[in-house]
Amino acid sequence: MSEAAPHLVISGVSKRYGAATVLERVDLTIRRGELVTLLGPSGCGKTTLLRAIAGLAPPDTGTIALAGRDVTHVPPHRRNVGVVFQNYALFPHLTVAGNVAFGLKVRGTPKAEIDLAVRRALALVKLGHLGGRRISALSGGQQQRVALARAIAVEPDVLLFDEALSALDRKLREEMQVELRRLLQEVKATAIFVTHDQDEALTMSDRVAVMNKGRIEQLAAPRELYARPASLFALNFVGLSTRIAGQVVGAQDGMVEVVTPVGRLSARGAFQPGASVIVATRPEQLRLGADAGANSAAGRVRSVVFQGSRTLVDVDAGAGASLLAELSGREAEVPRVHDEVRFAWPVAETFAFAAEAAP
Amino acid sequence: MMTRAAIVVCWVLAIGLALFLVLPLAVIAAASFSPTPVFDLPLSGASLRWYGRIGRLDGFWPSLFLSLQIALLSTALSLVAGTLAAIAIARGKLPGATALGTLLVSPLMMPGLVLGIALLQYFRMIGFTATWSALLVAHLVVTLPYVARTMIAGLSRFDFTLIEAARTLGCTYAGSVIRVMVPALAPSFLISGLFSLLASFDNYPVSIFLTDVRSKTLPIRMLQYIEEAPDPTLAALSTLILAGTLVLLLISDRLVGLHRMAGTAD
Amino acid sequence: MTEAVLSAPVVKPAPDRERLAALGFVAPSVLIIAVVFVLPLALLLGVSVLDSKGGPTTAHYVRLLGTPYYLGVIWNSLRLGLLTTLIAFVISYPAAFALARARGPLRSALLATLFLPLAASVIVKAFAWTILLRSDGLINTVLIALGIIEDPIRMIFTQTALIIGAVNIFLPFMVLPIYAVVAQLDGRYAEAAATLGASPAVVFLRVILPLTLPGIIAGVALVFSLSVSAYVVPTLLIGEKYPTLATTIAKAYLLARDPGFGAAAGVVLLAIAVVVVALSTLLSREPK
Repeated sequence: MSEAAPHLVISGVSKRYGAATVLERVDLTIRRGELVTLLGPSGCGKTTLLRAIAGLAPPDTGTIALAGRDVTHVPPHRRNVGVVFQNYALFPHLTVAGNVAFGLKVRGTPKAEIDLAVRRALALVKLGHLGGRRISALSGGQQQRVALARAIAVEPDVLLFDEALSALDRKLREEMQVELRRLLQEVKATAIFVTHDQDEALTMSDRVAVMNKGRIEQLAAPRELYARPASLFALNFVGLSTRIAGQVVGAQDGMVEVVTPVGRLSARGAFQPGASVIVATRPEQLRLGADAGANSAAGRVRSVVFQGSRTLVDVDAGAGASLLAELSGREAEVPRVHDEVRFAWPVAETFAFAAEAAP
Repeated sequence: MMTRAAIVVCWVLAIGLALFLVLPLAVIAAASFSPTPVFDLPLSGASLRWYGRIGRLDGFWPSLFLSLQIALLSTALSLVAGTLAAIAIARGKLPGATALGTLLVSPLMMPGLVLGIALLQYFRMIGFTATWSALLVAHLVVTLPYVARTMIAGLSRFDFTLIEAARTLGCTYAGSVIRVMVPALAPSFLISGLFSLLASFDNYPVSIFLTDVRSKTLPIRMLQYIEEAPDPTLAALSTLILAGTLVLLLISDRLVGLHRMAGTAD
Repeated sequence: MTEAVLSAPVVKPAPDRERLAALGFVAPSVLIIAVVFVLPLALLLGVSVLDSKGGPTTAHYVRLLGTPYYLGVIWNSLRLGLLTTLIAFVISYPAAFALARARGPLRSALLATLFLPLAASVIVKAFAWTILLRSDGLINTVLIALGIIEDPIRMIFTQTALIIGAVNIFLPFMVLPIYAVVAQLDGRYAEAAATLGASPAVVFLRVILPLTLPGIIAGVALVFSLSVSAYVVPTLLIGEKYPTLATTIAKAYLLARDPGFGAAAGVVLLAIAVVVVALSTLLSREPK
């Protein structure tokens, strides 16, 4: 994808509800055609940010520019956004086609054009045959598609999804994630998803913004977010990890030496000696056996969980520390509960985070 | 779930109840066709002569118009005020919203007669003696609780995200309310309107203390006819009112469904 | 993020517009209820403790609660309310179950028989009962034709007439709340109880009755407060022979011009209604 001009520019957006600060000077720039997820726990401000973009909750300070236009104080009906709501918010008194046509109708689009656009939008979500149905006669998955068609039909400058897939059951949700991404790329839509589901975030988006306490903690491509978490919060929120508390005893060239209950470990990070840190790594980095030049730790296997393509091994490393290892299905040897084992993992994949930042 | 005998008892009671409830209405309708001035049932023939006499009842037309005016106006005003209040209460942005809802509905459970004498005292004290206005204001208290109760119930089931959805699709706030909220609330609107209309049109215990010799509402006039000289003309009038009510009910049933009315009009 | 934004002064939280709008929305209704309902009732309370010269007195209450005649009047009202409520409940509760099981045209027809009388004027219905219960009325005619009685029995202006009329007129207010609850009753509760070993009687007492209690409470409270303060029904069906609080109040204002005493009677009637509402609120709030 070529480096396009900024399409949605959010700068310095803050929002308070009474004494509570929900958004704290948020900056976010999104290119045309980009799919971005706002990921975070409930109360992190992600939905408020989405509502600010939609115009449903104007920010207290800061500006929002959409398609080259300052829309900070533009009411929602003049923003040209498309929103897919959490419970779809389909109009119960209208048919499927009536819902999809709604946005065009209130814009005063000629009837022939509306019919064409409705047919196109419904075909896009594969519901072309259900235009005359009542909303209450649809399944959850179908309602989701109608909501999408309704939002797309007005050809919005940005599509906003508020936990749009969370009401679907797991299998349907996973199918919709893949299909939705393909569909959005097909119509070259710029889209923002709000979710607390990390799988959804990693699957659907070009970039993920991890939000915490009204701020964006990290904005990165899914792969980078997973491999190079910028904070302990990002590390915890996306994927599994092994985390061990310790104290920095040596620092050099962006690397630190940390004394932990399981032994001396090397990690990436810039800290002064004496700092309290959390040393962390991803479970798939752990390999059975010792390895010179790598970090390693030993312990007794507490549990082994078989998950099909992978097996998770939880190891009690003593002094309250534990190791979490993920062994792929091809691994010949899988330890059993109560086995004494040693795991090693690369120093380059070991990170140190400030301990007090722990959530 | 239930034993056979219990089911039989339930059905017998339900059918009996239905007949018992319809009995007085049927009797009135039958009596209105009586060929003689007395109500000897079963009828010895059929006549429409009493219908022709309704209009000649002393003071009938002014009373009918007064009652219609008061009923329509108080219902319209209550629908506006009650719906607005219900919106605020159902959205729950107000502290004590539940208590406010209870306050607005509370006149329903209070004896109308007591409200009548209280208003009589009150209006006298503040020098508010215009009969027509006094009746209208009093009937607001009669009709508003019906609207508030039904609209709060209806709105508590309304999903306010629909308004936001409409706004993001290009509707102004007012436009969203008209295009989305009004159709969704139409049944509640209809039901509360119907009930408050009937409550006002039929009200006796409040009105009796607020009317004077010149302006009497229809129920007061009718009770006067019954006490003075009951003849089948009254039955004819009652039958016409019943027929009107029946038409209103049939329209509501067509638009909303009676079982929904039973659910929301408890 | 620009420097200007960083150095922008912290904006005070704006007054919550939505809350202001909500206040504006409830204001007209609250104003109506406060000015035309609460205030007049408060005034009535005041009038009930004033003598004809405007001085404070408890004479009206002493007269009302201290003379056997007026105690009889209060009891007449309560008796009318209690009997009407009891009979209406006994008929309505089982009938509501049948109604809830009815489907299609039968259900529509049954519901119509509830709504039509509900929508019909009280005066019309009471008038109908005066016709039905006359000595030469339909009921006597039928009873004589059936050979059950030889001579017409006097029914109009008896307590029987009063209760029959009151039950008839207030029945829908009992059936509808109970029906609303019964119709939503999940049949699986009873099935679950049965699979747990409960007999039909136990299922009824331990599951169905408690689950339908909110409807019962609503219906009982409504019918009692309506019938205890009924005015048209006793006036037309029994008259002077059965004075109630309602007829006493009306007489005090319309004939005797004794507002202080009428107000005191009104306050007593109001107190009964308040007790009923308080009790029903308390009962329906109680955890099951």
